[in-house]
Amino acid sequence: MARLKLRLWPGSLLGQTLLALAAALLVAQSVSAMLLWRAAQGRMEQTMLNTAAFRLIGAPRFAHERSDWPRPGMDQRIEGQRRGGFERGSGAREFPMSLRVEHTMQQPIRPSETRMPDREQALRQILAAEGLNPVTVLVTARPLASDPLVRSRPRLLGRATRAYGPRANILVAAIQVRPGGEWSVARVALLPRRTGTLRPIILQTALIFVFLLTMQYLVLRRITRPLKLLTTRTEHFARTQEPSEPLGPRGPVDIRQLILAHNAMETRIAGLLDEKDVMLGAIGHDLKTPLAALRVRIESVEDDAERSKMAASIEDITRSLDDILSLARVGRASDPPERTELSALAASVVEEFEDMGEPVSLGESSRIVLPVHVTWMRRALRNLISNAVRYGKSAKVNLLRDGPEIVLRVEDTGPGIADDRIGAMLEPFTRGETSRNRDTGGAGLGLTLARAIAEQHGGRLVLINRKDAAGKIAGLGAELRLPAG
Amino acid sequence: MNDETPTRILLVDDEPTLREPLAAYLARQGFAVTEAESAAAARSILIEQAPDLVLLDIMMPGEDGLSLCRHLTETRGLPVILLTAKSEPTDRIIGLEIGADDYVVKPFEPRELVARIRSVLRRSQRAATPIEETAFYSFEGWQLDPLKRKLTDPDGVVIPISTAEFRLLRALLDHPRQVLDRDRLLDMVQGREAHMFDRAVDNQVSRLRRKIEADSRSPEIIQTVRGGGYCLAADVRRIASGQS
Repeated sequence: MARLKLRLWPGSLLGQTLLALAAALLVAQSVSAMLLWRAAQGRMEQTMLNTAAFRLIGAPRFAHERSDWPRPGMDQRIEGQRRGGFERGSGAREFPMSLRVEHTMQQPIRPSETRMPDREQALRQILAAEGLNPVTVLVTARPLASDPLVRSRPRLLGRATRAYGPRANILVAAIQVRPGGEWSVARVALLPRRTGTLRPIILQTALIFVFLLTMQYLVLRRITRPLKLLTTRTEHFARTQEPSEPLGPRGPVDIRQLILAHNAMETRIAGLLDEKDVMLGAIGHDLKTPLAALRVRIESVEDDAERSKMAASIEDITRSLDDILSLARVGRASDPPERTELSALAASVVEEFEDMGEPVSLGESSRIVLPVHVTWMRRALRNLISNAVRYGKSAKVNLLRDGPEIVLRVEDTGPGIADDRIGAMLEPFTRGETSRNRDTGGAGLGLTLARAIAEQHGGRLVLINRKDAAGKIAGLGAELRLPAG
Repeated sequence: MNDETPTRILLVDDEPTLREPLAAYLARQGFAVTEAESAAAARSILIEQAPDLVLLDIMMPGEDGLSLCRHLTETRGLPVILLTAKSEPTDRIIGLEIGADDYVVKPFEPRELVARIRSVLRRSQRAATPIEETAFYSFEGWQLDPLKRKLTDPDGVVIPISTAEFRLLRALLDHPRQVLDRDRLLDMVQGREAHMFDRAVDNQVSRLRRKIEADSRSPEIIQTVRGGGYCLAADVRRIASGQS
């Protein structure tokens, strides 16, 4: 259901605007068509009733009933129309004049037929305006073929059937001037509700659709194309943090301003990043030179144990400084990633630790080639292994494929991390134990840096407690998960 | 090794807090040290005397270390070790590309610096004909970039190797189709950071084989020679860097 809705409702600005516009147009045109159609129907109704009234009034029999009678020439006009037969008028069509008015003593409506009170009322008003106030007004409709008068004239039936079709109806209007008196009956062709009036409006709607939507499409494209370019560019900048060729302002003024503002912002961000690099270089230099001086000076310390402790402290500071500088620099790699054999990478890092006598081993591993920044990747893996050795006694490195991801997993056999602390472990300056004990070393940036490196490669860093068969924590697993494709 | 005439070292660094104790330390180690606080000062000292080796700080006000380094290696042929605060590999590569013999990142262990000074001096005395340090090695479709320490397989895929493996491979590549016994290999590979290589040569060879041999149990490129030694069974070409 939701998927269907999604598919029907376009996501883009262009699609949404065009769809909304089309829908609004459709509603407006429908209302307008309905109003027009109703007006046309009303006119037809009026013409039909007028014709019936005109015939009834025109019948000579009522001349004495009317105050303004006689009106010269009236009868001649009716006689003249009689020869016209079926004339096509604008609204209701004239019925053959030979069926002008029937005078009869019989009840003109059969019991099965229903009266039409609205039309009776309308007809009574028309007649009253002409000074004729009958006692009874009856209006009904019946099929042409079932009308007794029409049936009695086969030639007329034939012509009327040809003109209106075999299923045509007629409107029968009867008046009785005096109670119990003679009925005067007029017959008018009852035209079917016509749909012809809708045709022009449909055509008009279609034309408006084509023109308006085309124009709208052209205007919108002037907006959406520069927007698309801007999006591509922003994505590129976010990924590489390197400004590309500035985008020329194009499209409507609003969009031009947006592009100019974006260019200015990008330039400023790139400037800030460059500034940051320069600043970090300066900080590194300014701190490392005195550290180097200190490192040289402690060589004159006589006490060997004291000297090696000092050297270790300086090494700690240096390592933290390098982590901080690296964290600030990660993501701004100057070289493109290189296709690299990851099992060799894992092996070379593991061997470094082996050579220093650390309990690090290489587990499951197979040949997997992936484009990576080798130096950074080594760094991330080295950090994870250092952590495992420091907090988890030993480290085992596995390289495996897991669905769409390549996983470099470092497993230790330590106490793991409490589940509620795992998220916090990835934050800067967090360490496994709560005391900020220098003995365990590092600024607590190791995992943060590993995560930043994983993200630089489009991947992620996952920490999970490894459970043994009994459900007890058997150690921590730190995984660098990189997209395989 | 410097019993009679002490080795003369020119130390160029703008920071007196580092320069002075370092000069004192090196003097205690038996070197004759001259100090210069800028590139300009170093140039004027060089007119009067020729040191055996120059220790050069990269980041200095005025003319920087890289510029002076280029001048020293091109016109004087002096061995240079760069001192720098930056640890990015790209900085190291730039330093080595313009002709520095080695590169030490601050803060360094003074003993290690001394070891490197000796190693560079040994090399510069031995290699009268300087091999182009930056040229790529090419063998059996593989390539080794000595500056970036980057090994690529015949498909162009980077095969990361450790520093020790790099040194071993380079030693083998410098002597193709020659039998090198363990002592000789150890001598060529050691030198700079001895502690990085106190594992047996055999161990490093088997690691390297796992990375470059199609089947590490029946090696074809690095062959074992009966009687104790290894031999690179491949032809090696040197390719000028830049046309990889």
